[in-house]
Amino acid sequence: MRSFLLKLGATVLTLSTTFASALYVTAHLKNPSAPLQPTVLASQQEGTVAGVTFTPGVRQGDVQPVTSTYAS
Amino acid sequence: MHRSPVLEAHHFEALGTICSLFGLDVSRAQLLQGEFWVRVLGTRVTRFSERSELALLNRAAADWVDISPEMEELLREALRAFELSAGLVNAAVLPSMLAIGYTRTLAEGVTTATLSDAHPAPPLTDVLTVRLGRARLERGCGLDLGGIAKGWMADRLAAQLGANVLANIGGDLRAAGPGPKGDGWPVGFGGVTVMLRDQGAATSSVRRRRWGELHHLIDPRTGLPSTSELQEVSVVAATGCDAEVVAKTALLLGPGLAPSYCAVHAQACWLSR
Repeated sequence: MRSFLLKLGATVLTLSTTFASALYVTAHLKNPSAPLQPTVLASQQEGTVAGVTFTPGVRQGDVQPVTSTYAS
Repeated sequence: MHRSPVLEAHHFEALGTICSLFGLDVSRAQLLQGEFWVRVLGTRVTRFSERSELALLNRAAADWVDISPEMEELLREALRAFELSAGLVNAAVLPSMLAIGYTRTLAEGVTTATLSDAHPAPPLTDVLTVRLGRARLERGCGLDLGGIAKGWMADRLAAQLGANVLANIGGDLRAAGPGPKGDGWPVGFGGVTVMLRDQGAATSSVRRRRWGELHHLIDPRTGLPSTSELQEVSVVAATGCDAEVVAKTALLLGPGLAPSYCAVHAQACWLSR
């Protein structure tokens, strides 16, 4: 009797979890137009500026450089 | 009361070039220790000293040689650079360097070139074996760690000095942290200023270290100075060493293939004919 109750409990738990998950998923449909989180910072100079090709990972600055790659 | 961090800078000549160290909340003593580290390591990895670790390995004629942890790391970096560049950044170009007359420091002057002695470099992975604490180089081969060592040192120095620092070793540099004003370290790059944050940058050029028709940038495919139509390439990459490798590879590839290679491997690039 006791094992039957345990099996029944496990079955009920499984079914209720499945049902609750299905409810949650259908209530939270994916929105393909949702913005990326966290928001990706806009690339300021993606493309080519003064002959330098930039990717979004590098930003151009307008301050005096402290040093340069051009040394040797 | 809030204390604004102080930018400390230190410039010195080592490895035959100019080095600069910058740091926020880094003491002058730490920057001086950085200079000391560069000088000590420089004596180990130079090919111009008979007593350097590199010279011992070059002379060992296929015998196993005990090496320091730093040299082991640097040799492994050279092997990685060889793979990353599809063989174009090959440290085994020393025989060519000697053949073009680059037998001593440029301050001492070049010697007579014997270009007939220059041959394509063997694949580095075929001639160099690195194990824990020891290395072996095939007989008749020689290594020049050149730019690899500078990029590698910039990366290591930046990691050692602090969280908000910039190490520039002869133009191969590594910027760590948010920089003086929080928007990155401002670095002169191909005529513009770029703001680097946890990135490396380097320039490979045949406009300097040249004499007559010759220059120091060897194309391992021919064993002779590069005849690529590119004169200079600057690159931003994840590390100083990667930037050095990508810049040199792009220069050797020439104007036809360099843009495609840089599009994959560089975060920013500047190519000059």
